[in-house]
Amino acid sequence: MAPVHRDLRLTAVGRRYGIRGPWVLRGVDLTVAPGTLTRIEGANGSGKSTLLRLLARLDAPTEGRITGRPRTAYVPERFPSALPFTAAGYLTHLGTVHGLGRTAAARAAHTWLERFGADAYATTPMARLSKGSSQKVAVAQALLGDPELLVLDEAWTGLDAAARAELERAVAERTAAGGAVVFVDHDPRRLAGAPDATYTVTDGALRRRSERGGTADGPVTLVVAHGPAGVPLPPDAARTVVSAEETSPGRHRLAVLASHSDVLLRALLTARPPWHVVRVEPAGASPPDPGSRP
Amino acid sequence: MTALLRYQADLLLRSQRWLPPVILYAVFLGVGVQSGQPVLDSLGYTAAALLPVSAWLVRICATGEPPAARACVAAARGPARAHLACLLTALLAAVLLGVAATVVVTLISDPWSNGHRVRVPPPRALAAGLPAALACALLGTAVGALTNRPVLRSTGRAVPAMLLGALLAMVLAGSPAQAAVSGLVSGSQTGRAPLPLLPLAGAALVTAAAFAVAARLAARRSP
Repeated sequence: MAPVHRDLRLTAVGRRYGIRGPWVLRGVDLTVAPGTLTRIEGANGSGKSTLLRLLARLDAPTEGRITGRPRTAYVPERFPSALPFTAAGYLTHLGTVHGLGRTAAARAAHTWLERFGADAYATTPMARLSKGSSQKVAVAQALLGDPELLVLDEAWTGLDAAARAELERAVAERTAAGGAVVFVDHDPRRLAGAPDATYTVTDGALRRRSERGGTADGPVTLVVAHGPAGVPLPPDAARTVVSAEETSPGRHRLAVLASHSDVLLRALLTARPPWHVVRVEPAGASPPDPGSRP
Repeated sequence: MTALLRYQADLLLRSQRWLPPVILYAVFLGVGVQSGQPVLDSLGYTAAALLPVSAWLVRICATGEPPAARACVAAARGPARAHLACLLTALLAAVLLGVAATVVVTLISDPWSNGHRVRVPPPRALAAGLPAALACALLGTAVGALTNRPVLRSTGRAVPAMLLGALLAMVLAGSPAQAAVSGLVSGSQTGRAPLPLLPLAGAALVTAAAFAVAARLAARRSP
């Protein structure tokens, strides 16, 4: 099934609570296109969460207009475990709410719990989950249905290191598959170099901070791949890489954000004809210290 | 919508928060309805008591889900539809409870009018009692929908407003619930079991409007 992608567009959007309340946001123009990664920054209480709630259509603007209604999934900054379900039971319900069939939802629930290292808690009542584990359930809930728009409100907070990296990879996968992702996170290194656009919320206004730069400041992985001589990189791969260099005919040295390495490899291996991956290595620590390599 | 209803129903069942209103309803019926009393009178009592219980069930469904979990569901399906599912779940629970109570009360009651004058066969009593119970369940959920989140968000205002609303819906002349119940009570005196279809239709209209208002507001009001 081919998902129908539509831009989500905010036009002169403002939001305030109460008739005479102060404006939390005003004059916000923002377009979220399919396949893009958008980062929202701002101080505490600047209106980031309100903006994300408007994007997820959880809240309606006081003034202005929002058009476009992609299939949306939302991860709140703090997820309660006060639900009378097991983790797998809750995720199966949410999978069906996101439009999956019951068996597909149950299967997807286990897949995502496994990816976040929480499959041991599948049959644990949510009330007994730790804060980090219930955050994993919250994140899994959003990824179950392959949403067209994924809204992450500090979704990384509380996750362990492995789950944080997995969520970055899941975000890379989602954008590579044509979904839009909007996120807020206080860690400046979060998906560094990956966002197509970064916005800052200050005094209720939204300012675009940067275009996507050619250089990445996030951790980079080097991939050496071999393709048919004289053939350019597959388009999906070319979109993902930070830099590419043909060292000898058919042999390419590609730099890619560590979070996006799986997306690049998938693009190379599923190209027609498939490319041969010669070597994958972490960059930055070159020459790599043998003791610190994973 | 089916997925939403199933989720909400499972949430209600597993939360066990339905126990207090159901137990209270059972106690209320146990005190007010004794076997061997005139059937229509008892059915009127059964229907009337269902109204506040239905409103309470709405409150349980509307407040039972933590806000963050509600946001996850609302993002997927839209806040209006998510809230509508929650209201429909409460209505379904109220209807199930009302039907069960009506059937039991019909079976244990005396199939005669007051003073043992006119016989009221149980199927006839059931045909009168079920629409009345349904009307009360509908009107009770309407009261619950208009006096809980997202219409009234603070508990301090929601609970008194809900109780007052339930009382008014029960006693105000012109209320479909009042019409249905008084029809049963007066029917118990004359021995003619009325079919309260007009009150039922009225209650259905009022409830549809109340649900529409509450669901619309859910899309406009952040927690």
